[in-house]
Amino acid sequence: MRHGKYPFIIGFLAVPVALYAIFVVAAYIQTFQLAFTSWSGFGPITYVGFDNFVKLADDPLFKKSLLHNGYLLILLPIVTIALALVFAFLLNVGGGSKGGMTRGVWGSKFYRVIFFFPQLMALAIVAVIFGRVFASDKSGMLNGLFPDSWAPWLFLADERWALTCILAVLVWQAVGFYVVLFSAGMGSIEHEVYEAAALDGATRVTLFFRITVPLLWNTIQTGWIYLGIAAFDAFALVNIMTVDRGGPDGATSVLAMMIYRNTFEYSQVGYASALGVVLFFLTLTFAALTLRVTRREAV
Amino acid sequence: MAADQGTLTVGRSRIGTFFANFGGVVFSIVMFFPVYWVLVTSFKPQTEWSSFTPTFIPEAPTLDNFTSAFNAPNFKASLVNGIVVTAVAVLFSLIIGFLAALAVARFRFYGRRAIILVVLAVQLVPFVALLIPIFLMLQSAELTGDSIIGVTLVYVVLLLPYTVWTLRGFIAGIPRELDEAAMIDGCTRAQVFWRVILPLTGPGLVATSVYGFIQAWNEFIIINTLNDPEHQNLMAWLMQNQTSRGTYWGPLMAGAIITSIPVVIFFLAVQRNIASGLTAGAVKG
Repeated sequence: MRHGKYPFIIGFLAVPVALYAIFVVAAYIQTFQLAFTSWSGFGPITYVGFDNFVKLADDPLFKKSLLHNGYLLILLPIVTIALALVFAFLLNVGGGSKGGMTRGVWGSKFYRVIFFFPQLMALAIVAVIFGRVFASDKSGMLNGLFPDSWAPWLFLADERWALTCILAVLVWQAVGFYVVLFSAGMGSIEHEVYEAAALDGATRVTLFFRITVPLLWNTIQTGWIYLGIAAFDAFALVNIMTVDRGGPDGATSVLAMMIYRNTFEYSQVGYASALGVVLFFLTLTFAALTLRVTRREAV
Repeated sequence: MAADQGTLTVGRSRIGTFFANFGGVVFSIVMFFPVYWVLVTSFKPQTEWSSFTPTFIPEAPTLDNFTSAFNAPNFKASLVNGIVVTAVAVLFSLIIGFLAALAVARFRFYGRRAIILVVLAVQLVPFVALLIPIFLMLQSAELTGDSIIGVTLVYVVLLLPYTVWTLRGFIAGIPRELDEAAMIDGCTRAQVFWRVILPLTGPGLVATSVYGFIQAWNEFIIINTLNDPEHQNLMAWLMQNQTSRGTYWGPLMAGAIITSIPVVIFFLAVQRNIASGLTAGAVKG
């Protein structure tokens, strides 16, 4: 069967490899190169050694952004996966049993479609809507729901809560997709397994932790990686939704936001590239750690 | 028998069942309300959408917002651009991705693992980090500004990792014995790929194209950076109109509805396939 396999391999991989060589590898080499310059985007390029990285270490906004990325990296996957698991479980086996069959809660087929809608909505639209939800006066949906005697909550304008609002929106958008993903996984778990455990007196909670979660572990890990990627980015939402784009006072700034603003607004291409290099190593570290922990065989 | 055992099985506590149902309803409201709000607002006349007292059902439904959005500057150009860029990018990423997935799933060769890891790594790194060099590169090749070739190429690169990764999972799930049986029956290797593997990868291709479509259609940062306002897509148009005409909720929401329609149709058409497609691609080693 080995006869003539290389023509296929070369033919099939030539185009994607070329695209990657140009748009990813060459682009990264250039980012690494620019990270050691003070280039503004125009004119001559001057090399400045490690100056950009020294500047980074002293930049309070960089530290804040790093912390914010870390916050999202930990909380986004945990909250989203936990919520998605619980609701996928409700949809599939939460409705009790009849005639010896477990089933989902009432209307679960309908829910499945509804949960997917946020995923379909573009970030541009999501950001507009949640701008209204979190509006800091009485016209906001949430503030409108609170009793009149309360002072309006500031939400995105409040340094302490702005990032949590961003997290809430990210979770809102992502969770439906994972409900559907986990539902599909749960659908493939044999009903007999649940029936047997239920006959042995297992409650919903026991079923959830002893059967559903262990059997879905692979899918959960995949979800973790995807959500981690989303947490490293989070740029589009911060860019549209937050006060002063990353504010108030840097309270929602993330690394990607810093890169974008330094490149296209402050004309500090060198500095932005240095940030890009840092982001590159951070994501790769995350990837390496995740792959090691989850240890996929036969990648 | 079932009635008796009902007390032993999962649903023995009616209160539990009630709370499960209640939770489901509350969660659905939280998930769906913002979507509903966009929909309702898009049909409200100006007096209603600019009012401080919200109405949950438009009192005098109108299509004015839609005509207003449709006639807004750059809307039609953005619509056409978005369709062309998305369709071409998805088509190319499917063709290139399918062939690459075949190579990776069906052959063992030197550098195979490296290719898979690079593909994965790219998916992980936020694209903003690459925006500077790509912008410079495409600009010097004159593929930015009023040309949509540059942005289409970038979208293909963006969609490829997921495409290759998912299709590889599907192809790996097709038993090699099928290939061998077909070859014994006289198929060449190329015919095996075309007649055996391609049809069997069908659901995977559907799931991937939907995902790719949503990604490309909803992207706005890259196209906004690379192209001038007459050559962007609807998402970029929406974003600009959100900042420049901040309080025009009605037309803005109508624009949002129009931009979401293709995605929703696409999704509803393949709703059944998408979940199984995603899991198959994600889980099968």
